[in-house]
Amino acid sequence: MDYVLTILPVLLKGLQLSLTVYVMVMFLIFPLAILAAIGKVAGPQLIKKILFLYTWIWRGTPLLLQLFFIYFGLPYFGIKLSPLTSVIIAFVLNVGAYETEIIRAGIESIDKGQYEAAKALGMTYPQTMRRIIIPQTIRRVLPATCSEAILTFKDTALVAAIGMGDLLRSAKEVVTTDFKITAFFVAFAIYLMISSILVQLFTRMEKKYSIYE
Amino acid sequence: MTMIRMSNIHKYFGSLHVLKGVSLEVNKGEIVSVIGPSGSGKSTLLRCMNQLEKIDGGILEIEGLVVEAAGNVGVKVSASQQQVRDTYRKMGMVFQSFNLFPHMTALENVIEAPITVNKMAKTDAVKIAERQLAKVGLLDKKDTYPSKLSGGQKQRVAIARALAMDPDIMLFDEPTSALDPELVGEVLGVIKKLAEEHMTMLIVTHEMGFAREISDRIIFMDNGEILEDASPKEFFEKPRHPRIKTFLEKML
Amino acid sequence: MDHLDYVLKILPFILSGLKLTAKIYVATLIFALPLGLLAAIGKVTGPKIIKSILFLYTWIWRGTPLLFQLFFMYYALPVIGIRFSPFVAATVAYVLNYGAYLTEIFRGGIESIEKGQYEAAKALGMTYPQTMRRIIIPQTVRRVLPPICSEAVNLVKDTALLAVVGMPDLLRIATQIFTRDFNIIPFIVAFVLYLIISSVLVKLFGKLEKMHSIYE
Repeated sequence: MDYVLTILPVLLKGLQLSLTVYVMVMFLIFPLAILAAIGKVAGPQLIKKILFLYTWIWRGTPLLLQLFFIYFGLPYFGIKLSPLTSVIIAFVLNVGAYETEIIRAGIESIDKGQYEAAKALGMTYPQTMRRIIIPQTIRRVLPATCSEAILTFKDTALVAAIGMGDLLRSAKEVVTTDFKITAFFVAFAIYLMISSILVQLFTRMEKKYSIYE
Repeated sequence: MTMIRMSNIHKYFGSLHVLKGVSLEVNKGEIVSVIGPSGSGKSTLLRCMNQLEKIDGGILEIEGLVVEAAGNVGVKVSASQQQVRDTYRKMGMVFQSFNLFPHMTALENVIEAPITVNKMAKTDAVKIAERQLAKVGLLDKKDTYPSKLSGGQKQRVAIARALAMDPDIMLFDEPTSALDPELVGEVLGVIKKLAEEHMTMLIVTHEMGFAREISDRIIFMDNGEILEDASPKEFFEKPRHPRIKTFLEKML
Repeated sequence: MDHLDYVLKILPFILSGLKLTAKIYVATLIFALPLGLLAAIGKVTGPKIIKSILFLYTWIWRGTPLLFQLFFMYYALPVIGIRFSPFVAATVAYVLNYGAYLTEIFRGGIESIEKGQYEAAKALGMTYPQTMRRIIIPQTVRRVLPPICSEAVNLVKDTALLAVVGMPDLLRIATQIFTRDFNIIPFIVAFVLYLIISSVLVKLFGKLEKMHSIYE
């Protein structure tokens, strides 16, 4: 128990980094994904093509490869980013691509009658999207988005791969230096706790927002 | 005063010619029912009026303004974009499948367009909306979401939603076709009330008795053409066209 | 043309990485699918104790990162004296992780079959195992095909985690060549290979789903 208390500060520091990455990513992906999804549904041909390539490539290759490309590969082009910036960009682009597809499917699942009713009431296309289509879409994609959000939390462990001291990396360092596996179990418990809390939270949110259907 | 004038309207869905040169006028205060077999183009006709469908030929005038002209008709659209949009607002539309906004309560459905489109203050919009909901007999359901309403109630909210925009014309696209038989009456009752207020209305319907009772004119469509445009008395008592006779025999 | 020569030169290395990726991929699917199905049946119909154990299994394995589980196999088990070859350690980690996700998918599938199917089978005199084998599982398999296919596509991308524990997979080899030559091309080649594989799998699974959805 004393040992756990001595390693806890190190692990919590790692957790802090994991959570920072997570929260920043979650805040940034939604504007990106909503805009990209609208572009994919309603944009001009060129935008649609570019967005198709974006979601195809980013969803078709491993996040870790994308992370390596940005962190190790971009300096090749003279672009050097800090580890945290690299991680945020890689995660936002990756999770954003998945979320774009989720939202696109959500938009396309909205009945045509909703557009017609809005038009018949004199609403413009932007008004229709903002007031009628997107609010319904968001509620409809909530379950898929929540499970994506939980996956993303677990994916933050990948930042350990470029040497950042996140929860996973800190635990590993402690295990290799102290040659005791306790740190792993503590990290285990922390991951499990957080993802369980997220699941609870999201389930509650889904229930709250599903009242009207 | 002519509210709607359609001249020689053509409409295609791919290679399917759904409207074959339809011409029609609706005057202020008139109640016109459009009847005919399914697939005859009557819903398309209605949807062309408020431009949910683009016409492929002919001229569409609303309250004296040319809002759409297509093909070699020698007329240009005289309305500005803003005026075209204004004509939408003057035309309320009620759909067969209600198309209520499911994420909004009955009241929110009704105040949405007055606030978003007409930039009305919320308190004013709520006042209007409550009056309209009272008119369709659903003021007590104002905080209910559409999923908790019956079909007939949904359609009455949809009518209140259209009325809240203070339209000059109401278009009804088979307003009772998606309803259980016992719920048809409540919706027809609301439409009848509007008729008594001399609202200009175009109603696509299969309810023959209702059409006969409230209409000033009956239009019979078949295969993309208007076969008859007559008073209800003439239409039902002395149908001139053999197609109408067989249709009425089947319906009644 | 220099670029093309370079690609041809590094391709054999990269393909050897791809081979390891493919091996882990196939091994994972071969073991995780039956594991998932059995665990799902256990979760739905097993005795209380089995249900509790399986609940813990899926909760823990789905609640923690795969990379973490890999690290555990690689760095923690040796500390307590358990040593596997890297390949075995990786395979076990992937099988247990994907097995947990597949268990939940199968369980959801089994529970989505209407009660009427059990009742009809019972009325025909079928035993419970017969009902499961002949009636419930075949319907479940068809119904869970889409989520399983998307897991199978995810697995391609997850194999890249091997690189982090030092296994010479496609990503690691590409990264090594990149560091050695400081040339971006190995990354591009890796992008293209992953993209081809996942696109081909998506197409393939799409066809498979279509083939098996005819009856619904």
